[in-house]
Amino acid sequence: MSESSPHLVVRGVSKRYGPTTVLDHIDLTIRRGELVTLLGPSGCGKTTLLRAIAGLAQPDTGKVELAGRDITHVPPHKRNVGVVFQSYALFPHLTVAGNVAFGLKVRGMARREIDVAVDRALSLVKLGHLASRRISALSGGQQQRVALARAIAVEPDVLLFDEALSALDRKLREEMQVELRRLLQEVKATAIFVTHDQDEALTMSDRVAVMNKGRIEQLAEPRELYLRPASLFALNFVGLSTRISGTVLSADNGKVDVETKVGRLSALGNFQAGSPVIVAARPEQLRIGGEDETNSASGRVRSVVFQGSRTLVEVDAGAGESLLAELSGRDGAIPGVHDEIRLSWPVAETFAFPMEAQA
Amino acid sequence: MTEAALSAPVAAPAVDRERLTAVGFVLPSFVIIAGVFALPLMLLLGVSFVDANGLTIANYKRLLGTPYYLWVIWNSLRLGLLTTIIAFLISYPAAFALARARGPLRSVLLATLFLPLAASVIVKAFAWTILLRSDGIVNETLMALGIIEDPIRMIFTETALIVGAVNIFLPFMILPIYAIVAQLDSRYAEAAATLGASPVVTFFRVILPLTLPGIIAGVALVFSLSVSAYVVPTLLIGEKYPTLATTIAKAYLLAREPGFGAAAGVVLLAIAIAVVALSARLSREPK
Repeated sequence: MSESSPHLVVRGVSKRYGPTTVLDHIDLTIRRGELVTLLGPSGCGKTTLLRAIAGLAQPDTGKVELAGRDITHVPPHKRNVGVVFQSYALFPHLTVAGNVAFGLKVRGMARREIDVAVDRALSLVKLGHLASRRISALSGGQQQRVALARAIAVEPDVLLFDEALSALDRKLREEMQVELRRLLQEVKATAIFVTHDQDEALTMSDRVAVMNKGRIEQLAEPRELYLRPASLFALNFVGLSTRISGTVLSADNGKVDVETKVGRLSALGNFQAGSPVIVAARPEQLRIGGEDETNSASGRVRSVVFQGSRTLVEVDAGAGESLLAELSGRDGAIPGVHDEIRLSWPVAETFAFPMEAQA
Repeated sequence: MTEAALSAPVAAPAVDRERLTAVGFVLPSFVIIAGVFALPLMLLLGVSFVDANGLTIANYKRLLGTPYYLWVIWNSLRLGLLTTIIAFLISYPAAFALARARGPLRSVLLATLFLPLAASVIVKAFAWTILLRSDGIVNETLMALGIIEDPIRMIFTETALIVGAVNIFLPFMILPIYAIVAQLDSRYAEAAATLGASPVVTFFRVILPLTLPGIIAGVALVFSLSVSAYVVPTLLIGEKYPTLATTIAKAYLLAREPGFGAAAGVVLLAIAIAVVALSARLSREPK
């Protein structure tokens, strides 16, 4: 099968629990070897979608195809998927090696082949020396690796991670994000991560699906997701932003002029005159000082937060609106709290979103 | 090591106090176990080696050398084994049903399990005789419905004995298994399924081993209770099914042979201890 052909296809999958629609006609196509994250707040349906792919939840409508096979009605033990659970769900009555061997044993693999496969999987996660340990004798990070080795050992068609890193502390989690991505690329695995952690999504994935209320709001590469958010929800959920509400004055060819409480601003977007909109920009686009051909607004500095390589400056622009600027150390003087400053940013980096779509 | 050495002069009194507190907590139960339990057991053991002529092993010879008493021991074992096996077969699915039940249903089910524990064994055994005797409720109902002509003999049969014993000891099997099942993370079964295990394989390789501690506790409890039951066999089957427990009672109350009664008690205790020790070993065994 070629690299770019669809490997996992989710088509029109819906799921309701009582009156709640958890999945609302989800379409998702993933290529072989791709690492995709389902990102969203709790209750957005991301875990249910993962469980529908694993066969642990039956969709009400729609189809799931994996490696060219319709698996919609195939029970989980015949799907050849690997799942790493948030709680790891390692079998406490088995050793590390016993856990990793489990999937191979139930497939009836020969003893010698099992030993070889277990060794390989454990050395992949650098736990070969702990093979005979009991699960209860391992740290959280080690358990996470065993869960990964157990899922990889059966060579599944797709690996599914359900908030798999969220139980680790922050430093370990950040290390694991990088290591996991490298490892999955090394074994050419196709993987889907479920997380509410935007950093995890941006670090680990080739593409990110931002989910909200049972729908995929945007499916894009991390860079595009950040630079060109498709909805106000996607803008809010990934990264920081300055957001100002206003009314469209005039529209011209993908560009709008918007009347706001902090002055007239220009933004990218297609709207009719009179539409209520939110104008937004990423904080690193905002600079101190005013220039031509840009948007600008002024106000009094409310807070200055030093974060190492960057400093976040929040400005009270009056009328309940505020501006958020991210200044790097090289940008010269960092203003102090209560300073009156003027911030400006390029029109090409200013977006307009419909107001009513606010989540 | 270094840290411990450095802080040793300061830490030592604190450790002593901790140890003292621990001893303080253990002491009352230790005194009770030693005085009320261990000491009488020692006396029992001593008495079992004594008869009218002094020190002897005649009591054990009689117990383990007479076909009649071997049959009595077998009766006790049979009662214990049958009760335990049947109680387990009923309890295991029941414990899962109980763990799955939600809300009011769960409270009602738990109450039906706990309430009978408040009633005395004698009351429950008598209740069974009322149900099962020739002019009892079961026979009267069957005859009234025209299903049978004459009363069936139910009371004073082994079936009645086992049915009664299972009924009376059932909570002691269900509760320990339920305690384990209720804590069982459903993700284990899901993980097994995604690894390729069918529901049957998942049951034998994951669910059964993980619930084994509950099973072992329940088996140890029900076996030691039923193998030594006195009221249940006395009321539900009587003279024709003598057990170690009824033999002990007879030796003390009728025959005035405390040495022989004590020997029977020691054998009964040995059987119970063997089963409990075996269970403890099994539950510790990895895999």
